[in-house]
Amino acid sequence: MPQVPYDSRRRNKASRLSRASSLAQGKLVPHEKTADLLRAVLEPGDILCLEGDNQKQADFLAAELAGLDPSELRDIHLVMSCITLPSHIELFKKGMIKKVDFAYAGPQGAAVAELLAAGKFPIGAIHTYNELYARYYIDLTPRVALIAAAKADRAGNLFLAANTEETPAIVEPTAFYDGIVIAQVNEIVDTLPRIDVPTDQVDFVIEAPYPMHLTALFTRDPAAITDTQILMAMIAIKGIYQEYEVESLNHGIGFDTAAIELLLPTYGEELGLKGKICKYWMVNPLPTMIPAIESGWVDTVFSVGGEVGMERYTAARSDIYFTGRDGSFHSNRPMGQLAGHYALDMFIGASLQIDIHGNSSTVSKGRITGFGGAPNMGCQPNGRRHPSKAWLKAGREANPGPGALPGRKLVVQMVETFQAGRVPTFVETLDAQDPSVKSAMQGVAPIMIYGDDVTHIVTEEGIANLGACRTQEERTAAIRGVAGYTPVGLKRSSADTAALRARGIIKLPEDLGVAPARANRGLLAAQEIKDLVRWSGGLYDPPSQFVDW
Amino acid sequence: MEAFQQSFPSHALAWPPSRKWALAGVVGSGNLEVLIEPNPAAPDTVSYSVETPIPGYRDSWLAALSDFSAHYAVGGTTITLHDQGAPPVVVKLRLRQALDLLTSAQS
Repeated sequence: MPQVPYDSRRRNKASRLSRASSLAQGKLVPHEKTADLLRAVLEPGDILCLEGDNQKQADFLAAELAGLDPSELRDIHLVMSCITLPSHIELFKKGMIKKVDFAYAGPQGAAVAELLAAGKFPIGAIHTYNELYARYYIDLTPRVALIAAAKADRAGNLFLAANTEETPAIVEPTAFYDGIVIAQVNEIVDTLPRIDVPTDQVDFVIEAPYPMHLTALFTRDPAAITDTQILMAMIAIKGIYQEYEVESLNHGIGFDTAAIELLLPTYGEELGLKGKICKYWMVNPLPTMIPAIESGWVDTVFSVGGEVGMERYTAARSDIYFTGRDGSFHSNRPMGQLAGHYALDMFIGASLQIDIHGNSSTVSKGRITGFGGAPNMGCQPNGRRHPSKAWLKAGREANPGPGALPGRKLVVQMVETFQAGRVPTFVETLDAQDPSVKSAMQGVAPIMIYGDDVTHIVTEEGIANLGACRTQEERTAAIRGVAGYTPVGLKRSSADTAALRARGIIKLPEDLGVAPARANRGLLAAQEIKDLVRWSGGLYDPPSQFVDW
Repeated sequence: MEAFQQSFPSHALAWPPSRKWALAGVVGSGNLEVLIEPNPAAPDTVSYSVETPIPGYRDSWLAALSDFSAHYAVGGTTITLHDQGAPPVVVKLRLRQALDLLTSAQS
C-alpha cells in the first residue's frame, strides 16, 4: 500500500526542532549560535524565505546564511520579495540556490544580470509583490522563513514597529503549514509596546548584534524639485485631479508627485479643490505630504511601510494614519497593495521608458530590476464593482460596448520627455523587448505597466488621454503628441495632433489654463527639508543625510 | 560653443507688450537664459539667436523653435537664448515664461 502523506511535514518539523533544541533557551537563541541554528533546521531542497523588503532587511540572518559553507546549504529554492543586499548575491555566487522566485532586484540589478549571464541565477519567475505573496499560500509555501522584527519579548512574541511591511504575509503561510519561523530582532524586552506576531507563529528569536537595516526610501528633498516638475504638477492637478475629482489615490516616490503634494496647499487651495480631491491615500508616510496634512487636505493615509523620521509625526496624527493601541504607526504591504488595487480612483507613477503603445518599463539592458508593487496598483481592477465619480467618468470615456466595464481606474504615467543625460523617455521599442532580457523571463518582456491599462500620460508638453482613444493608431498619435523633442515626438504629424487636441484627447497647458510663467519654486509649500520640520511643528525627525543645519 | 541665428514666421503678438524686454531663467547648469524684446519692424517674424556650449543639437533646437513660433503668437520680437545645457523642456518652459512676462499686465 502506498504511503499517504497525512502529516509528514509536521513530523519533519518536529525532527528539525529537536535537532535545534540544544541551541535555544525556550525560543531564544544567542546570536553566536545563529549559524548552528541554520545548519540544524535547514535541509537540502527546502523552500527558504528570506525577508528583504525594499525598506527593512533581515540583514543579520542573511549575512549568517551567506557565511555557511556550500556543503552545508545547497539545493535551496529561495523565495523573497527583494534581492537588495550583497549577502543575497553571495548565496548565488556560492552556488547554494537551485531556484529563485522574487519580485524586485533594483539595487542589485547589474549584479543579477551578470550572475544570470554566467548561469548562476536560476530564475523561477519574477513577480509583483502580491502575486509572490499569493504563491506563498499556493505552491511556494516556505519550509523555513528568516524574518526581521523590531522587538521580541522572552516568550517570543514580536513587535514590528512602523515597518510591518510583508512580515505577516511570510509568517502566516509558513507557520500554518508546518514551517519554521526564525526572527532576528533589534532587542529583547520584558514587555512589548504591542504584539504584532504572536509567539504561536514563531519558533526561534535571535537578538541581532546590530539593528536591522532600514532605508529612508520615500524622503524627497523639496530643494531638488525643478520648475519643470512644478509645471507638470500644475498640469496634472488641473487636467486630472480636478477634472476627474480624484478622491482616493496612490503616489510614487518620484519628485514629480512630491511636487504635486507640495502644490496642494498653494495652487490646489487657489483652485478651491480642498475637500474635493486627494482625501484618501494609500501611500507611505511621505514627508512631503506634511504641508497638505497640516492644511487639512487629507482624511486618511494607509501605508505599505513606514518611513524613517516620521515616527513621532505619525503617532501624533492618529486621525490620519493607522496606529496601534500603543500609539505608534502600523503598515502592511499586502493589504496596502490590495487596497491600492481595488479601492483607489487613481494610480500615478513614473517610468524610465514608455513605448508608442503606452507600455512602460524600468528595465535597461544589463540590469534585471523586476517589478515590485507598481503593477499591483497600476492596472485595471476588473473585479471592482463599487462606483466613484472618477471611476465612472473614466469608464464613460473608454471604449463603449455591451461587454465593457462601467468604470475604469485612472492609471497615469507622469514623465519628463527626457531622462537625465538627454536620454529620451519615449522610445519606439522598449529595452525590455531585447531578446537577452526576455530570455530571463521565459520569453515574456518585463513590462511594468501595460499600455492597455494606462488612461493618461502626463509630460511637460501636456496630457494624452489614452483611455479616450478609439484605436491603436490614435493612441500612438496621442503619445507622439506629448513626447516633445524625443525621436518618438518628432515623428508626430501636426494634423493628427491638432485633431486629437480638438477632441480633448491631447491637452496642452494653455488648454487647461495653466500658465507656465507661474511654474517656479516659489509655488511650493516647502522649499527644503527644514520647512517640512517647521510644518510638522518639530515632530518630523529627518534622517541625518537630509540635515544640513 | 555653437552659435546660430534663425527666423521663423509667427502671428503678431496678440497685444502690445507691456514692457521693453523680459527675461526668464538663468545661465546655470541644465538651464538657460531667454531674453525677449519687441521688434515692431517685422510684426510677422520672430528672430532667434542661440548660443550653446553643446554642439551638435542644431536640428532639435530648430525643431523646438519652429514649433514655438507656430504655436504661439510671437511675431514682432527678437529672442536671445544663452544656453547652459538645458533640455528641450526647459527651453520651451523659459520661452513661454519670457513671453508671458513680456505680455503680462503687471509691471
